Amino acid sequence: MEIRRIAIWVALAISSYVLVPLAFAGNLYLMSMIVASLTIGGIALAWALLGNLGGLVSFGHAAFFGVGSYASALLVMKAGWPIGLSLLAGGVCAALAAVLMLPALRLRGPYFALAVLAYAHIFRIVATEWKGLTNGAGGIGNIPRFPVVFGYDFASKTGAYWIVLSLVLVFAVIYWRIRASHAGLALRAMHDSEDATRAVGVNSVLLKALMLFLSAFMTGVMGAFNAHYINFLEPDYAFSGLWTMLPIVAAIFGGYRSVLGPPIGAVVVYLADQLVFKGFMPIGHQIVLGALLGAMILFAPEGLLSVFAKRAHWPGRRRVAVASRDA
Amino acid sequence: MLELRDIGVHFGGLHALDSVSLSVAAGEIVGLVGPNGAGKTTLFNVISGTVRPHRGTLRFDGDDIARMPAYARARRGIGRTFQIPQPMHTLTVAENLTVAQRFGTGRVDAGAAAEILDLVQLTDRASRDAATELSLTELKALEVAKALATQPRMLLLDEVLAGLEANGKRRFTQLLADIHARYKLAILIIEHDIETISTLCPRAAVLNFGQLIADGTPDFVFSQPDVVASYTGTVPHA
Repeated sequence: MEIRRIAIWVALAISSYVLVPLAFAGNLYLMSMIVASLTIGGIALAWALLGNLGGLVSFGHAAFFGVGSYASALLVMKAGWPIGLSLLAGGVCAALAAVLMLPALRLRGPYFALAVLAYAHIFRIVATEWKGLTNGAGGIGNIPRFPVVFGYDFASKTGAYWIVLSLVLVFAVIYWRIRASHAGLALRAMHDSEDATRAVGVNSVLLKALMLFLSAFMTGVMGAFNAHYINFLEPDYAFSGLWTMLPIVAAIFGGYRSVLGPPIGAVVVYLADQLVFKGFMPIGHQIVLGALLGAMILFAPEGLLSVFAKRAHWPGRRRVAVASRDA
Repeated sequence: MLELRDIGVHFGGLHALDSVSLSVAAGEIVGLVGPNGAGKTTLFNVISGTVRPHRGTLRFDGDDIARMPAYARARRGIGRTFQIPQPMHTLTVAENLTVAQRFGTGRVDAGAAAEILDLVQLTDRASRDAATELSLTELKALEVAKALATQPRMLLLDEVLAGLEANGKRRFTQLLADIHARYKLAILIIEHDIETISTLCPRAAVLNFGQLIADGTPDFVFSQPDVVASYTGTVPHA
């Protein structure tokens, strides 16, 4: 059963690499929407990892996204680093930024969320005021694009699509492997029983910190990708609260307890909003999105993947939930 | 094995533990008794690392562990149960033991886990959700099983018999005796039932208002006027 499910997901992933470009490569607008949705999906996955495994609800992922964006852009432009390496460096810098958030790990629930939100604002202010490095509110233009590799231009919409899809899939596999590990078991158990896990030798603070670093790293890499994709940065954009809010909406819509729910939710939510709701309601189209999210929370709190699971006639509520969780 | 000297803990103005000194030898079973609010669970929390004492020394196998975090003490060999069972949520019974083995001992041993489950009679519940599908007796057994899975040298049992009916209490008392015989552990057990303490423990220590007021054989301890007064609420020698 497990092998069959893995085979299905691998087949879907391969199809995503081939079928999407085949079907939509000619429509640059649609491809750019898909790339943007996957960028949000990558952050949503990182956010859900921190929530699911670290038990921490973050309102500050925009900080990691912004730090990753600026770090990668500046390393390429000022230090001449290759983009491939600077993507990883963007993630590492975001993880280092998360080190400053470690004191907040003592807090729980809304207190942690608000502390991290405050941290995010501090990073935004630093990026605005540190004009010598970031050019302040004037922003950074002409950020180098993705290179041509073996004759293929990865700066194209399809090239960027393949890059962001690969990042999301790699992150999903990492998330899935951690969750299936013994550390993943302990992390899942820590949410409601931290004292119980400590009493059997689990260093819960260390595990939570590692999840914070990993989530920050993933978000930073997505920020770095976005910087080289759109070629322009300014603090209000790179550290915008939308980089926190949209991934949260996407993760909850798709099913934040599953691995693939958040990125799938991001694609569905973003494309529906930009291509459908915006069409018949140019101003205030987010209202429809809000209503849809409310309905999802009320009628399918496990998210979109659980709805698919039920449609596929997987027997039993518990199995549906588990299947959705394990997807 | 365990040596507490002059341990003091206060919560604001409340002295939960006041100059408590107690030692437990390897393989010894000691009953810790006292009325509600006497400081028994606080003492367990001090030993297991969830509460840091404001005063005193705490040694385990000769090493000062007073500043050691709770998870490290579990790895050093101090296992504990909680008064209100705390199964690891979202995990099955077997997964609870897997986590305890992996983090408590550094390795997962399916054979040892099966042996523990058999001992506490949870073998047929191994795949059950620990938080939602077990009875109180089974939850208490899981508490003990988790602690055993960390291969402790000392076991702190916090009212594992509380809430059990008479038969369950007898079976559980026998289980604890079996565990002691098989693993040769030092056991410190909090229990209100004097008969259980007398059956299981060659030695008992009594706490009252955060102070150790008696320490000796159960017969000796329970004949002390201070101990009788602490349970009846009367003033000794009045």
